[in-house]
Amino acid sequence: MNGWTGKIVKVDLSRGTRESVDVGDSARRRYLGGRGLGVRLYADLCPVPKDPLAKENALLFLTGPLTGTLMTSGRTQVVSRSPLTGTICDSSSGGNFGAALKGAGIDGLVIQGRAPGPVYLRVHEGEVEVRDASAFWGLDTQKTQKGILEEAGARASVACIGPAGENQVPFAAIMNDKDRAAGRGGLGAVMGAKNLKAVAASGNRAVDIADPAGYKDLASRVDRAVDKNPVTGKSLQVLGTSVLVNVINAHGMYPTENFRRGIFNDAEGTSGEKIAETLLLRQSSCFKCPIGCGRTTRTKNKHGEGPEYETVWAFGANLGISDLAAIAEANYACNELGLDTITMGGTLGCAMELAEAGAWPAGPKWGEAGRLLEWVTETAYRRGVGAELALGSKRLAAKRGRPELAMQVKGMEIPAYDPRGAQGMALSYATSNRGGCHMRAYMIAPEVLGHPVFLDRFSTAGKAELVALFQDISAVVDSAILCRFLQFAVGISTFAEMLRVVTGLDFSDEELLSIGRRVYTLERLFNAKAGFGRADDTLPPRFFDEEFQTGSSRHRRVRLEEMLDEYYAVRGWDPDGRPMPQTLAELGL
Amino acid sequence: MAGTVSVKFYGLMRRRVERTGLEVPADGVTVLALLRLAEERAGRTFLDELLDREEGLLTGTIILVNGENVRLKDGLRTRVRAGDIVDLFSPAGGG
Repeated sequence: MNGWTGKIVKVDLSRGTRESVDVGDSARRRYLGGRGLGVRLYADLCPVPKDPLAKENALLFLTGPLTGTLMTSGRTQVVSRSPLTGTICDSSSGGNFGAALKGAGIDGLVIQGRAPGPVYLRVHEGEVEVRDASAFWGLDTQKTQKGILEEAGARASVACIGPAGENQVPFAAIMNDKDRAAGRGGLGAVMGAKNLKAVAASGNRAVDIADPAGYKDLASRVDRAVDKNPVTGKSLQVLGTSVLVNVINAHGMYPTENFRRGIFNDAEGTSGEKIAETLLLRQSSCFKCPIGCGRTTRTKNKHGEGPEYETVWAFGANLGISDLAAIAEANYACNELGLDTITMGGTLGCAMELAEAGAWPAGPKWGEAGRLLEWVTETAYRRGVGAELALGSKRLAAKRGRPELAMQVKGMEIPAYDPRGAQGMALSYATSNRGGCHMRAYMIAPEVLGHPVFLDRFSTAGKAELVALFQDISAVVDSAILCRFLQFAVGISTFAEMLRVVTGLDFSDEELLSIGRRVYTLERLFNAKAGFGRADDTLPPRFFDEEFQTGSSRHRRVRLEEMLDEYYAVRGWDPDGRPMPQTLAELGL
Repeated sequence: MAGTVSVKFYGLMRRRVERTGLEVPADGVTVLALLRLAEERAGRTFLDELLDREEGLLTGTIILVNGENVRLKDGLRTRVRAGDIVDLFSPAGGG
């Protein structure tokens, strides 16, 4: 079979059994792989929402038809129900792990049950072996990977959890290939609840390519497009993602001290330009990636990966901290302990405002860079103030009687773009199927960066349709699977071409978009069953009630109601945000 | 002497010009004229980081006058006054 291997392995950790399944041509055509196929399989396995940490909950690692082929195709999509939000959740990670799974002869893993003691899965030559992981339980993600590589072979790729996942912190990450993270949504806690420490994959199975000549030609064309594009060919390489610090700050929408202000006075000192001058050792790349946005850095004490844009903000401006080395070291610690940096920083920001407001007198204080490492570590082990920080911002703020101080959507912390500065981004956050996330529809691209066209960021006109379109395209890219950064250089027609040369199947742009719509709607259906509706498609009151007094986003509020009904209409959902029968019929759901 | 406009360089622009900003004596000129004056004053060319060969803004170029994107004003014909702050970003992305 071209593209896919046609084999997905189901593992029941309670019983220690494995079984191969072929989802069939129709499911592959309608959902591709990755996020799409993962969500389809998850919804079939868990039609009634389960407690995310129960043994009955399913956890899936999926590759896509493009995995292991063209540029940026090493990624993996992890799918389950999030312990942070209770929504369906897929979390994407770079590195090589996806390519390694494919090389090991499978398209993905479906994991259910709970092992009686710590285990890891060894995937090789199409077979999955359940191995004892007692020796690795308690180790951080770096030591775990090193130890498992010694056992499984140095050419393997390992995805694992650290102490945070073992302790079922609801924003625990899954780390692979050293420091790449399936960060958002806490799927590391789902692994921990299953006593699953890691998955190691290796193998040399080459992906069958339908049109080798076309593949070669397309690869060089996309390579040229990436090279020619100033973002993928230059800016991301030289300055990494943190080049955005100054850009977003200059637009007055760089969230500062838990989104109370939109300008951080020390932005320059924590910018990508500054990182390049001070901490940067070298750029780093994922599987077959010509971009290389990763940053390998060092401080006086340590070296590691990051910080990238979201992290430099989460531990920087968001907490009133401008000590770049402290931010980097908190990032390294999150990588080692296996924590999502965005939710960690978002929760700390909430905690600091709670402390200032007198709602948590013993809570962390603004600007205390010297205690960042302690807070992060305590969170992973759920001790000291970390016992409360490990709740995430929504539960923490509710417990402390000030729920409005959690900057979250559906329980997931909002990242580094204040929605008052970009109305489309506000709608994107509010309607994201996994909560406060910028990756479902990255409206910052047109509203701030001018990609692929420039739009007025304060206007709501036409934003509903565009958010839905961006959400659909993102779902396609996450199902194929490619890196989103390729979208700066090429568009959906190129993705269709990539799928054609690899799989031999012709996908029109329209068919790909309908796949994206199907995936998005299926996710929505699951969330509706889990009790989510219109009331959850919203933002914290701060964004509707409070205005910045300075900067170019001053005197602005989010105008969600101007867009939400139109968005539901575009989607074919009813006014409560539930997909209508006719929509489901059109999408074959 | 007439007042000045503050021109600030970010990202790749900054590496090209090897400075974070400069003061350009100008008042009432267009952004395009200001950029040419800034090039002269910096002793470095940098317009090709921002503009295409027809002197149109490249996709992704951001020029802010007092925080407002010139694409929402008169583009490169937007007039700047002494005391204004002009931020220049060559195309950038992240996430």
